[in-house]
Amino acid sequence: MTASDADAPLIERVKHGDVRAFEMLVVKYQRRIERLIGRMVRDVDLVPDIAQETFIRAYRAIPQFRGDSAFYTWLYRIAVNTAKKALVDLKRDPIVTESARMARDEDDETSRVESELSHGETPDAMLASKEIAAAVNASIEALSEDLRQAITLREIEGLSYEEIAEVMNCPIGTVRSRIFRAREAIAQRLRPLLDTREGERW
Amino acid sequence: MSQGSEKKLVTPEDLSCLMDGELDAYAVAGACGHWREDADARAQWHAYHLIGDVLRSEDLACDSTRDAAFLASLRKRLADEPVVLAPASHVPSSPARARPSWLAPAAVAAGFVVVAGALVVTQMAGGLSLQGAHEPAVVAVAEPPAAASTVAVADAASSTGDLPAVVWDDRVVRDARLDEYLAAHKKFGGSSVLGGPSGFLRKAAVDNTAR
Repeated sequence: MTASDADAPLIERVKHGDVRAFEMLVVKYQRRIERLIGRMVRDVDLVPDIAQETFIRAYRAIPQFRGDSAFYTWLYRIAVNTAKKALVDLKRDPIVTESARMARDEDDETSRVESELSHGETPDAMLASKEIAAAVNASIEALSEDLRQAITLREIEGLSYEEIAEVMNCPIGTVRSRIFRAREAIAQRLRPLLDTREGERW
Repeated sequence: MSQGSEKKLVTPEDLSCLMDGELDAYAVAGACGHWREDADARAQWHAYHLIGDVLRSEDLACDSTRDAAFLASLRKRLADEPVVLAPASHVPSSPARARPSWLAPAAVAAGFVVVAGALVVTQMAGGLSLQGAHEPAVVAVAEPPAAASTVAVADAASSTGDLPAVVWDDRVVRDARLDEYLAAHKKFGGSSVLGGPSGFLRKAAVDNTAR
């Protein structure tokens, strides 16, 4: 099984009326979709709304998804169209939000800090993001060679378990277990960073 | 909890495996159910995906509170959406198309009988005395199956009747009347007004945003 159809079992569940499977896909792709929209729409306040609209449209259209392309490619197209439509609507009926006004006041070429902030929103959130990235990198370094290689081949190279088994010269069951143990080790280290925020619970 | 033992069948390792699309279909169903019921499983699913995102691109690192809030509000909107049910890829068999022409009105009539039956039943629930309303309700409800069985018999009789039909393994493979029917209706194939053959068609809306 290649990386592109890793979503196939979940998509199949969604097509049979399982909304939970769709929620799982949302958790998987939400960050990438928001980043994509954030690059198209300067007003950061609009990004989550457009991302929500993207997922709702994808949910409605999923019976027509044939799996000819990867699910993310399909979702990407929906996100681009949704963002374009939002921009057209905005031109027709412009509501200038605070963050958009601030972004416009700054000079595009010189405000590097501003554009960085526009992704992480608040300095607090930016700090949290930096901490998370640092924790992931540190725990990858701390992994044993076998675990590090397995998770890297999967997450960065996008190889299937079968291909990783071939590369690492071990049974598929071992690959499965190594990838799981690598994820669990990194997640252990992340947990304090992910759990301490008050309020929302998964 | 009664489902406790069932839940234990889905291990954290299964979720990790599902992420990579390497879990078999039966286990996927269990994992989806587990995910909805267990907050730890949701946190785990999120953390594992966040790890993957950050490994590929550090700028995807973000506060999990935001992601959880995003899902929470999307879930509210999803609750208002009709449940997705992709059509099963099943084409009606050819004998069904060779039904006699009086069948359509008969089916409509049967429909009316059902509606009448439903009305009687609801009226009965609405306050009529049970004693009086009981009998008509039963008669009305019993009507459609009787009509249907008549249709089935007539159908079987006519398909082996005066017009030649090829029957193999108790199924009509080719029926001359079907050929006639198809030939006669070919020119209306694309028309949804006539109803009959338009079962193959799907309505589509064009979202013309680039005006």
